Amino acid sequence: MKPSRFYEGTAAIVGIGEHCIGPDPMATIGLGSCVALILYEPQRAIGSMAHVMLPDSNGRVDRPGKYADTAIRLLIDGMVAKGCRRQRLVAKLVGGASMFAHFGGNLNIGERNTRTLKTLLRTEGIPIVAELTGGNVGRSVVFTPSEGGRVTVKRADGTCCEL
Amino acid sequence: MRLTDVQLDAIRELGNIGAAHAATTLSQMLMCQINMSVPEILVVDIGRICDHIGDEYSAMVVFQLQGELEPGGYIILLVSRESALRLTNTMLGMTDTDRELGEMDQSALLEIGNIMISAFLDGTAELLGIVMLPSPPELAIDMAHAGMSSLLATMDADIDEVILFRTELMDEEHMVNSDILFLPDTRTLADILRLLESIVGPM
Repeated sequence: MKPSRFYEGTAAIVGIGEHCIGPDPMATIGLGSCVALILYEPQRAIGSMAHVMLPDSNGRVDRPGKYADTAIRLLIDGMVAKGCRRQRLVAKLVGGASMFAHFGGNLNIGERNTRTLKTLLRTEGIPIVAELTGGNVGRSVVFTPSEGGRVTVKRADGTCCEL
Repeated sequence: MRLTDVQLDAIRELGNIGAAHAATTLSQMLMCQINMSVPEILVVDIGRICDHIGDEYSAMVVFQLQGELEPGGYIILLVSRESALRLTNTMLGMTDTDRELGEMDQSALLEIGNIMISAFLDGTAELLGIVMLPSPPELAIDMAHAGMSSLLATMDADIDEVILFRTELMDEEHMVNSDILFLPDTRTLADILRLLESIVGPM
């Protein structure tokens, strides 16, 4: 089977644990329990995205984009370094679904990812202006900072919506 | 995770035997010939899994590995949605491919996954001399990468690379393609390598 990829060729694909910062389109494909953490600075039309897989780094530093706590720091610092004003940052969250009811014990990792990110964003004083989280469906996301921070979410059946 | 060529070959051979068993059962169920690709074995960084598994609409029948080895990792039958429809149509004697995968299709997929993966693990057990039992299966019909990454998130948090063992089973007559993905966790992989080494000698 050949892999298909949402927005191939026109967006930088952010894989699990990776991140991207800048004005150009960026995308993650097939989010399940992972969450796409998206930060946006409207004045400068610069954005960033991290493909977060787990809530807590427990002190690991090698892959900051993989964990909620380290990913937030990584994106904020990266955007400030690009000249963004911290006070103007807004956040969008996509993903955090629960695809399998019985694997992974009682831990709903998707929900924990989302909850942790929300708590951390509140602590940082960054408002969440849109989110599409939870449920049990996979999602692909493309984020275009240069076009007003537009976020498009696609589901497996092809239906799309904008955030 | 550094694997030598000999180790990769040994795992490929193990998978080859398993997949051949699975292909035989599929062939018996569909009463037709099944072609099997040469198994592909890749060590893939988690960030680049999306280069191999995308957001294609797929049916995934997922089993956790249990048995003499500690619960550790997953084995997955991955079928594109179109192939899944043709597969269940063949099993259920239907022809309509322009429909949703309903309850009947879902039970058929779980059943076919059960039979194929049990055969796969029987085959590997013969070689390894130990049994990896599949858990009861769970079915997801969604984006392949969404399923895979959700499973990864339940494994060891330190996992930054996965062994992607993948073999394709093709039924030309009914145009059915399926992949078997074997996703052992770090400890299961170490156990398997140790057992293989005791068979073929130092690797």
